[in-house]
Amino acid sequence: MTDISAHPSGKRKTSSLLQLDARTKRRNAAERRFQIYGLVCIGIAMVALVMLLVSIFSGGASAFRQTFATFEMTLPAETLDPDGNRNPEEMAKVTTIGYQNVLRQGLVTAVRGANIVPEGMTDADITGMLSPEAAADLRNRVLNNPELLGQQVEIDALAHGRIDGYFKGRVTMQSAERDANVTPQRLQLAQAMADNGLMALRFNWGFVTKPDASDQRPEAAGLGVALLGSLYMMLVVLVLSVPIGVAASIYLEEFAPKNRWTDVIEVNISNLAAVPSIVFGILGLAIFINFFHLPQSASIVGGLVLTLMTIPTIIISTRAALRAVPPSIRDAALGVGASRMQAVFHHVLPLAMPGILTGTIIGLAQALGETAPLLLIGMVAFVRDYPDGPPAGLFDPASALPVQVYNWTQRADPAFVERSSGAIIVLLAFLLVMNAVAIILRRKFERRW
Amino acid sequence: MASDPHIHSAFDRDLEAVQAMIMKMGGMVEAAIADAARALETRDDELAEQVRRNDRAIDALEEQVNAECARLIALRAPIASDLRTVLTVIKIAGSLERCGDFAKNLAKRSSVLSQLAQIPGASLAIRRMARTVELQLKDALDAYIQRDATLAADVRQRDAEVDQMYNALFREFLTHMMEDPRNITACMHLHFIAKNIERVGDHATTIAEQVIYLVTGMMPEEARIKADKTAFAGGDE
Amino acid sequence: MNDMRIAERDVSTSETKITARDVNVHYGASHALKGVDVDILNGHVTAFIGPSGCGKSTFLRCLNRMNDTIAAAKVTGRIELDGENIYDPKVDPVQLRAKVGMVFQKPNPFPKSIYDNVSYGPKIHGLTRSKAELDEVVETALRKAALWNEVKDRLHAPGTGLSGGQQQRLCIARAVATSPEVLLMDEPCSALDPIATAQVEELIDELRSQFAVVIVTHSMQQAARVSQKTAFFHLGNLVEYGETGQIFQNPRDPRTESYISGKIG
Repeated sequence: MTDISAHPSGKRKTSSLLQLDARTKRRNAAERRFQIYGLVCIGIAMVALVMLLVSIFSGGASAFRQTFATFEMTLPAETLDPDGNRNPEEMAKVTTIGYQNVLRQGLVTAVRGANIVPEGMTDADITGMLSPEAAADLRNRVLNNPELLGQQVEIDALAHGRIDGYFKGRVTMQSAERDANVTPQRLQLAQAMADNGLMALRFNWGFVTKPDASDQRPEAAGLGVALLGSLYMMLVVLVLSVPIGVAASIYLEEFAPKNRWTDVIEVNISNLAAVPSIVFGILGLAIFINFFHLPQSASIVGGLVLTLMTIPTIIISTRAALRAVPPSIRDAALGVGASRMQAVFHHVLPLAMPGILTGTIIGLAQALGETAPLLLIGMVAFVRDYPDGPPAGLFDPASALPVQVYNWTQRADPAFVERSSGAIIVLLAFLLVMNAVAIILRRKFERRW
Repeated sequence: MASDPHIHSAFDRDLEAVQAMIMKMGGMVEAAIADAARALETRDDELAEQVRRNDRAIDALEEQVNAECARLIALRAPIASDLRTVLTVIKIAGSLERCGDFAKNLAKRSSVLSQLAQIPGASLAIRRMARTVELQLKDALDAYIQRDATLAADVRQRDAEVDQMYNALFREFLTHMMEDPRNITACMHLHFIAKNIERVGDHATTIAEQVIYLVTGMMPEEARIKADKTAFAGGDE
Repeated sequence: MNDMRIAERDVSTSETKITARDVNVHYGASHALKGVDVDILNGHVTAFIGPSGCGKSTFLRCLNRMNDTIAAAKVTGRIELDGENIYDPKVDPVQLRAKVGMVFQKPNPFPKSIYDNVSYGPKIHGLTRSKAELDEVVETALRKAALWNEVKDRLHAPGTGLSGGQQQRLCIARAVATSPEVLLMDEPCSALDPIATAQVEELIDELRSQFAVVIVTHSMQQAARVSQKTAFFHLGNLVEYGETGQIFQNPRDPRTESYISGKIG
């Protein structure tokens, strides 16, 4: 009888199953080690995420709260409407300075009325408690509602950025002594007003809705224009890049012959996805602004540039999604006599839809966070006016969220630090909403099969 | 015939068709035996001739059954009771074909006998024996149709009866031959006829055993009573 | 229009439906099918058997020009459906596939409802004019596929929720709904359990009264069970073509004998 043992040594040591041999022990240890590596990696990622979120939220959450001075006063009709016929066009002749005087009067009266004695402070000093924006706000309010004149109204005036900083702990008595914009007396007055309920930190919708403000008025700066600009750009990107990207991928994946030309195109699309975004900015500047003479800083141009940037991402993910649809589905459709196009549009595309949506959302999210190309096409400009509603508004100057963040981090006043963190929170929230919409759409498509 | 239908209805149709052939064959064989016995009794040469002709149809039918069974095995790969059905069909067809041959032999001999002097009482006894065997065969086939193992066991036991009849006839023919040597030719033929009829009984028993195998999956083991003692009866007189 | 709808066609007469002469298929450099001549008869199930890569599926896919979707495949020779060459440049493969339906190896229902699966073919071919007509076509097709009783209460449930055997019968119903004249089946039972297989085979046997059925199968037993004609392919050649009973009991070619008795792969 021949020896048919599989082991060269001729025999295999027999051992108890209850006792692990050295090989098994080594193998088990290696497996445990690998699992630990994985856990460590996940841990690092989690810690990084938590640190990011903590730093952003701890720094930025306060941006949503703002110090307001709240008091009641009668709006003097004779100063604010010298002609007396309540015509907003004529009333507009009274400038912000006039309103500032009125406000000062009201604030001083309110402070005195609360039995607070502002030591060593002139009336002009007291006006410095309020933001320069407060007078402009009041003027807009009166011009919109002329009937308020002569009536007792409640004033909600933005406090000066330094006063706001005091309540948020950014400004102290010591730092105030070295500060040209604020004095310790004003901080004491602010404290006294707060004790008397004339001043308080409140949630500030203006941060999300109001336009940007100048370097001197951080308390008035808001994200309204940037938010609208980003929204418009996303609309442009969505409307342009999804149809173009999906159509291109369907053609490449389902119809195009496989030859050298399609190979070249394929390689180029992959390369395009890896091109630095600033290059797209230069392209946009050269083509859209210098050649087509589209307006600078307009969200249409930003949208077009971001579209160029997003299309490769969408094409790549869409092609992957189309390839993931089992060929048996195409066979089935062709087998019952559907044409290629019917097979694609009736069966393949709906099945690829979740994947396409994922790619689209990744592309859009990337576009939403993109700053560099927008700087080149002038979206970094300081824009105070809201763009019109679409489509005309697409050609109006606007800002964008990431550019706004970048912009604010450049500014000198420390109050902008919290505002840029706050803007990042808004940007993240925007992203979350977009993702949520994508998830809902995915669910809807997935439920069909 | 089988309990539950197959999902492949064509398989059922094939199985039924082949069993229908067996039933047809059984009927032809029964008729052949009865006719042959009647031809012997009535000295009807024409009937005897017809029995001989009919045997060709029986043989052809057996071939057809075998071919159909081969096709069934090749194409349907029968298993379990289906396999037993096909196997028993082949065996039963073989038995029936042999029975047909015996009937033909009967008919041949009856043509010869009709030229010879009659042996008193012989044809009646043969007729009675043939009828018993015929009944045995019929019951065996009924047991097959109804998948009735009890009836099959009964048929198997009844073979002893035929054997006894054969023993009695054997002695009778021996007596006739000893009485008058001129009877020898006729008695020899009659003896072969009786022997052939007895053989038909044996085949009926075989069929009954096949039925038991078909129903239970096992061949009957217990010994059955053998009553054919002629092998030992040579010189006892 | 109406005669296009599923009508009880009696095709039990065994006239020739498809005639293939000297069919050659090349996949790039490889010669996948070498000079195949076959006549496919109405009212018959024709089985193609042979080892993997023998060309049986390739030939099946020539019969409704599914090979067109493979760029590298080149088909020469003549394949005639009712005397018309289906490889004639004037023939539109989409129209051909409406006449020559196909069922695939893996059950591949569309990820839609049972109703949508069956009604898809009639819809894209414009075989019905009203919802009621469409309902009728769907019911008839499902009945023909022996699936109606199992799914009539859940026509709008997803087709992918059915069991494997039911899914394959759904695919058969889908193919039947366009009222084809020939039904091609590419290993329709290879993904099914024995009972589901038996059900599909029984269905194939019933369908042959209305269509010429061609089935490719790995299982010789299946070919033996369902077909009346069997073609044995080996290395791209059609080795033997004849009555199934004859092929399985008394093959003429020693290669057929070796294959069906399990002596060559």
